[in-house]
Amino acid sequence: MAVDGVDESELYPIAILIDELKNEDIQLRLNSIRRLSTIAVALGADRTRCELVPFLNDSIDDEDEVLLAMAEELGKFVPHVGGAQHASCLIPPLETLCAIEEASVRERAVASLNSVAGALSAEHLLAHFVPLVKRLATADWFTSRISACALFSVAYPRVPNGTRAELRSSFKALCRDDTPMVRRAASSALGGFAAVLEKELIKPELLPLFVTLSSDEQDSVRLLAIENCVALGKLLSREEAQSAVLPATRSAASDKSWRVRYCVAEQLVVLADALGQQVAHSELVPAFVKLLRDHEPEVRTAAAFQVTGVCERLTGIGEGGSGGGSADGAGAAGLVPVLQQVMPCVTDLCADSSQHVRAAMASVIMGLAPVLGKAHTIEQLLPLVLQLLRDEYPEVRLNVISRLHAVNTVIGVELLSQSLLPAVVQLAEDRQWRVRLAIIDYIPLLAQQLGVKLFDAELATLCTSWLTDCVNTIRQVAISNLKKLIAVFGAEWAQRRLLPVVTSVGPSSTFHQRMTALLTANMIADVLPTDTVSGTLLPLALDLAKDAVANVRFNAAKTLGTLAATLAAGGQAAAVASRIKPALTALSTDADTDVQFYAVQALETINQ
Amino acid sequence: MATTSDLDRQIEMLRRCEYIKESEVKALCSKAREILVEERNVQRVDAPVTICGDIHGQFYDLKELFKVGADVPDTNYLFMGDFVDRGFYSVETFLLLLALKVRYPDRITLIRGNHESRQITQVYGFYDECLRKYGSVNVWRYCTEIFDYLSLSAIIEDRLFCVHGGLSPSINTLDQVRVIDRKQEVPHDGAMCDLMWSDPEDIDGWGLSPRGAGYLFGGDVVAQFNQTNKIDLIARAHQLVMEGYKHMFNDTLVTVWSAPNYCYRCGNVAAILELDEHLNKNYKIFEAAPQEARGVPAKKPAPDYFL
Repeated sequence: MAVDGVDESELYPIAILIDELKNEDIQLRLNSIRRLSTIAVALGADRTRCELVPFLNDSIDDEDEVLLAMAEELGKFVPHVGGAQHASCLIPPLETLCAIEEASVRERAVASLNSVAGALSAEHLLAHFVPLVKRLATADWFTSRISACALFSVAYPRVPNGTRAELRSSFKALCRDDTPMVRRAASSALGGFAAVLEKELIKPELLPLFVTLSSDEQDSVRLLAIENCVALGKLLSREEAQSAVLPATRSAASDKSWRVRYCVAEQLVVLADALGQQVAHSELVPAFVKLLRDHEPEVRTAAAFQVTGVCERLTGIGEGGSGGGSADGAGAAGLVPVLQQVMPCVTDLCADSSQHVRAAMASVIMGLAPVLGKAHTIEQLLPLVLQLLRDEYPEVRLNVISRLHAVNTVIGVELLSQSLLPAVVQLAEDRQWRVRLAIIDYIPLLAQQLGVKLFDAELATLCTSWLTDCVNTIRQVAISNLKKLIAVFGAEWAQRRLLPVVTSVGPSSTFHQRMTALLTANMIADVLPTDTVSGTLLPLALDLAKDAVANVRFNAAKTLGTLAATLAAGGQAAAVASRIKPALTALSTDADTDVQFYAVQALETINQ
Repeated sequence: MATTSDLDRQIEMLRRCEYIKESEVKALCSKAREILVEERNVQRVDAPVTICGDIHGQFYDLKELFKVGADVPDTNYLFMGDFVDRGFYSVETFLLLLALKVRYPDRITLIRGNHESRQITQVYGFYDECLRKYGSVNVWRYCTEIFDYLSLSAIIEDRLFCVHGGLSPSINTLDQVRVIDRKQEVPHDGAMCDLMWSDPEDIDGWGLSPRGAGYLFGGDVVAQFNQTNKIDLIARAHQLVMEGYKHMFNDTLVTVWSAPNYCYRCGNVAAILELDEHLNKNYKIFEAAPQEARGVPAKKPAPDYFL
């Protein structure tokens, strides 16, 4: 069974693998293909080149799954066929794979061809790879032409000028191909091709293609133009970019197909970065407002996600490391369009008829607080936040709560307690346990902000009531929450406010209450004074060690182990010896095996 | 002690939805067999215990179940079968439950459902999943051998009878269940088949089941059975109920269903039935795990040929 079986009969497993390349069971062929590198190493470079690669080339009428694996493996094959000078022998099988109907196989083959091309010498590139690109680009069947589109940018920088011109005209032809799928592929490749093209050629050669593609009759082609806007925007000078890219952006933002508008909405922040702040003000704000008011919910959702990002860019806050001073010139000027144009849309979107739009808004609205500053946050944002906290759709509520701390820092504690606290208290009893969970996570932060008085008055009861929640996760998180609260308010507060509730498990208590009491004792023992541990928690654990329910007894054993460690560290080794050890020894002979196990485990840690 | 820490490691892996090695599955199954062979056809279970229905390979929803109901060993569980098939993670689901059974035999009880069968698993996904994830059918073979050892039913504190499907016309008393030779593939008819296949229905007496196996049984059958065997309630699974649980026949029978959004498209909620030490009933409803709590299935490298 050892893994080292290889040295004993080295060639036998290879023979099996080669055999299985031809097996009828697809699973076996697949496994074997994934081991192609092993086979190649065993055969050596010469035989791999002369036998294995031609064999593979002949077996490309297999299932797509096998071909996909083959396309991937061949990309790593350069060292196996004898290095760069022989790498061109990998082109024929990959060329065939580039024509396969299944897109994922082609994409993998193209990726592998690109890495093979990287290994070829300039001479071989010209002699073997460029002809391949030309063959694919003029093939009869459209699948090859699709594959060709993504092969230009790797070849172009490394070939002489004459060839470059040929490649450019070949790419141009693909951009005007009759088949929409090919034009799509060409449009996807345009940005990458532009990046390797001579700067001065971008405008005369590529821009016309870009313009044609961005007004293509097919929306599936047009929607790719947006990404090209971003790519070209980065390559061209600001002025050139604006004159070339802006018209396309503008028409895409009001395209008749919602999928195109959706793409614009998704890319707005990136577009704003590519085009610069000034253009963002004058051109992108109107487009943005239009998208926020789009009649398709999908578009509004995508646009809503961009609200904070766009507003940050308009005001210059959060853009890079300038520290985010909101009072500087750009900030004040940028705030005007935010307040006048964006905020009315935000208000509407918070009451949108689609829950997805509202959920998107809920997840970004907090980010607006630093952008707007305190006064506007209180006046405009807070009512919206409160409205979203009351939303009927749980995901909306959850998205707001999990980001509430962003508002804290802006509006301060007093306002927070007045306006948000009622909403928080209401959500603490939400039907969805994940909403309750989010609220509990937020409690320690609130505790710090509110101070002990306000907290005792408003939230303390809530925190102990979570200990009896019907969902176990909430009970567990409530327990760790108590520990965090003790860190904020101190042990004295815990003794006064928490322990009476936690340790009151009488004979009529439920099994869950007793378990929770033990788990709480286990959790908070190390943050309480030793006297409290021995005076309050220890009697509780000793009492429950005699419980009728086995689960309670073995948790008592675990807790006794923890208490022993705390007491020993606090100089009360005598209590450990006289009270804890006898109890654990009794439990170690319990009728239940799990009780025995945990009692023995606790005794072992004590004795160490 | 070494075996306990090994098991704890395997349980941790399975809880992360990673599957354990084939050799570990084999060892786990042989340990499980030692435990299960000792169990009775009507396994006695103490309260408090939480009763669960079908899981069907919905691993992330099983994790959701444990989030709502607490983990083993802190809570005791009784799973009423149909751990595998239909969902994407039958292997991880069954192996996790089985590993918990081996680690904490007194804390978790597994009884057999109609899907714990060689024939059914070859049609509804578990066989294919084993083949895909392990590259051979060995794991499926180990698991289906264990299916034969799973208990047929359970009785809680002599008051609640738990079974996957329902009752059988050839069974009047629990003692008749106790004498079945259960260590075999689920038969096509007879008492053992009926326990896993039958459904309650608003009829008098017995009826033919549209499933082609087992029977339909009415409230009068349940009343007679409960009286004869001095029990209060029959808990069973086997049928999707949109609300997670459903009482029938004046609360003498309940269906518990624990696969939320069954087959990832039914839109139902799921339930578990918590019984405290005084047999007070508390149903807990839960929904499917949210998308962000679901992992992407881990890709396992091709099986090693050189072993």
